[in-house]
Amino acid sequence: MTNLHKLATMLILSSPFISGAQGYQVNLQGQAQQGMANAGTAFVQDGASLFYSPGGMSFLKSNEVNIGVSPTISHGKFLDKNTNLTAETTSPVSYPFAAYGVFGLKDSSRLKLGLGIYTPFGSTVEWEDGWMGRFALTRLQLQAIFFQPTASYKINDKLGIGAGFVYANGKVNLQKDIPVVDANGNYGHAELSGKANGFGFNAGIYYKPVDKFSVALSYRSQVNMQVKSGDATFTVPSSLTSNFPNGKFKSTLPLPQVLTLGLAYTPIEKLTIAADINFVGWKAYDTLAFDYENNTTSLVDTKSAREYKNTFAFRLGGQYKIIDALAVRLGIAYGISPVQNGYVTPETPDANRIIYTAGIGYTIKQKFGINASFYFSQLNREDTNLETGMSGTYKTNVVIPGVSVFYKF
Amino acid sequence: MQAISYQSIAAALALGLFATSCKPKLDAPEPGKGALDVSKYVAIGNSITAGFADAALYYDGQLVSYPNLIAEQFKQVGGGDFVQPLVPQASAGIGSSGNARSVLGYKTDCKGVTGLSPVPFATSGDFSIFTNNISAQGPFNNMGIPGAKAITAVYPGYGNPANGFGNYNPFFTRILAPSEFATASMLSKAAAQNPTFFSVFIGNNDVLSYALAGGAADAVTPSAGSPGVGFDASYDLIINTMTANGAKGVVGNIPDVTSIPFATTIPYNGLTLDATQATQLSAAYAPLGITFHEGANAFMILDSSAPGGRRQIKSTEYVLLTTPQDSLKCAGWGSSKPLANQYVLTETEIANIQNAVAAYNAKIKSVAAAKGLAYVDVNAFMAKAKAGIVYNGITTSATFVSGGAFSLDGIHLTPRANALLANEFIKAINSQYGSTIPQVDATKYKGVVFP
Repeated sequence: MTNLHKLATMLILSSPFISGAQGYQVNLQGQAQQGMANAGTAFVQDGASLFYSPGGMSFLKSNEVNIGVSPTISHGKFLDKNTNLTAETTSPVSYPFAAYGVFGLKDSSRLKLGLGIYTPFGSTVEWEDGWMGRFALTRLQLQAIFFQPTASYKINDKLGIGAGFVYANGKVNLQKDIPVVDANGNYGHAELSGKANGFGFNAGIYYKPVDKFSVALSYRSQVNMQVKSGDATFTVPSSLTSNFPNGKFKSTLPLPQVLTLGLAYTPIEKLTIAADINFVGWKAYDTLAFDYENNTTSLVDTKSAREYKNTFAFRLGGQYKIIDALAVRLGIAYGISPVQNGYVTPETPDANRIIYTAGIGYTIKQKFGINASFYFSQLNREDTNLETGMSGTYKTNVVIPGVSVFYKF
Repeated sequence: MQAISYQSIAAALALGLFATSCKPKLDAPEPGKGALDVSKYVAIGNSITAGFADAALYYDGQLVSYPNLIAEQFKQVGGGDFVQPLVPQASAGIGSSGNARSVLGYKTDCKGVTGLSPVPFATSGDFSIFTNNISAQGPFNNMGIPGAKAITAVYPGYGNPANGFGNYNPFFTRILAPSEFATASMLSKAAAQNPTFFSVFIGNNDVLSYALAGGAADAVTPSAGSPGVGFDASYDLIINTMTANGAKGVVGNIPDVTSIPFATTIPYNGLTLDATQATQLSAAYAPLGITFHEGANAFMILDSSAPGGRRQIKSTEYVLLTTPQDSLKCAGWGSSKPLANQYVLTETEIANIQNAVAAYNAKIKSVAAAKGLAYVDVNAFMAKAKAGIVYNGITTSATFVSGGAFSLDGIHLTPRANALLANEFIKAINSQYGSTIPQVDATKYKGVVFP
């Protein structure tokens, strides 16, 4: 027992950990999968397959309710290349959650129906008061909740297909300072706040030709989060209020399409190795546009080039069952940043990253279980932004300890 | 078993908490002084160097003078104190016509329309600035004297009241001991401090005084002539004196006066007429064959070389910011009463100015190269400001008031533009002397203050 304890601790300590966000989207889904660097497309083991593998969901052996939370702790720092001054983020911890329910109409049914409810944005980015980038951004909060009903059909013992629908509802709040100042030294401030919603779908196919091997393909469509009637609020010196009229604005933030090819291999009963390749359609995020209802010479509609490029992520994870009830997991992933040189912003100081993960799961009587996962990722990016002229190095540490519980019946 | 896994989970979570306290390590590189000794820095210049802004010399403006900002950065590589001839903090300041500084306020024009406009902070400037002699607080590292030219910087007695009103500079007098009134020049006061590093940014007024008066008064300093008369010899004397003890330095060239809001704010075709007015004015000017139409028209100006001594201003010419707005709007200035020469820069005058600036700048560049001094192309910097300089998400342009680069006199810089100019100097210094002096965080400095 003591040895097991040591092993579990060692596995965790020996991996400098993980995080799997690219761009502004963070898919913190399923603790078992997060422990394996999110390589969960071809390895169907719990309700999170609803998200990872709509085709494979029908291969789940029981009905399940699964709920988890992945507290996301992010510390960012910026070193201004021109002045040698630094600034830090004061981003609050965010609590993305994911819940899945998967049910068969009868125990023997080939059809499984499920509902996933999850929050795919990981974080609020907030920079310290008075920082040198405050005219570019002071705070960005993206909150969204996704509802994903999904059906999966097991055509035969080797092949499953599935598809679902996504309804997304959320809100966005973006704030920055405006470089106009009053006699007391107070700078102007802009706050763009609005509700957003969008639709999408997902589909997948899962094939398990032999017991030891499975392959799956899954696709999630782009979801355009549209802000149709947001509120633009400006705080400016009183003589400028007519230049910066409060009013409505429109904007759209695309969440990219993702195509994933997954493989899973179980050489011995206790060990499963899984690999995923994601193709992420970030090219959709070419421009961040704000269309204001009331335009003035000072308040013109803005179109900021983002010029994201399509990108890939490579994920590799392993699970080892020390005993039937206890699994330990490790993962490693490499994500290529969609953000090109010249377009790095304080809202997403993104970079290519290596992601390390670990996890542990314990099951009681094959019914109740608890999974814990741990992510660590460090981002480091030097850039000079073409639009704002901000020049320097962003460094971000992201730590995501997560825990989930499930009940199978 | 159960206990063990819970412990493991607890360990994982504990590790998570530990990791969260690990903020990213990202330290600034150590600033380096390269080949420089900046322990004593002296700045020679005019009103821009003095921190003059909003039509006056006043405390807040002095604090953000570009040499003071540079000196603050120098402290990271061994720079010493930078003493400025500060006026009292609460003072309204004083400008060249005895005026107080301007602030942005509301003003109702002759048509009863109220709008934002520069208004005087007080009815009069603070003359105690001139009468209170502060020479005992010196020596002053900031030897920027409002109104100074290259030719006056070398002139002994430039602050001597005995020369009579109009023939001495009271901004200089206030920092001199009475015993040196007759003998001190700006250059001698700068050199006497034996600086290890200097900046020279002077020559603007050698053309600007002519330009500000619409070419109607003062004269452009010629390139040729002895020190005190010609630009080249005066500039040589300044640089030779400052480098005599081996001091290193930086020089700035002269911006084109047509890049500043003082010249560019009032449009040449700002004469807006309705159909009736256009007909009437066309009839009045029929003998000269000048016609007007409904909408925007070029202003009428006086020009002794034109037929009848008057003509319309050309699109390449400028109406100066000193032109009284109410006279333009309600008193027929620029239409039935052509604008006087002092309010206009004509093509000929612009050519005089630009030829002189080109000659000065060629001289400054060659002196910098010959002496191995850092060189700042202020002219290029100001040209860039015309379109807008982007810095950390702020666009600072030369547009009057809203652009944020120029203070309310349309000539001198705002705090933010001073910071951006200081950065141009620092970049040039670093590039010339292999130093890595950090730049000023310009986001900390404001543009025009709005009510």
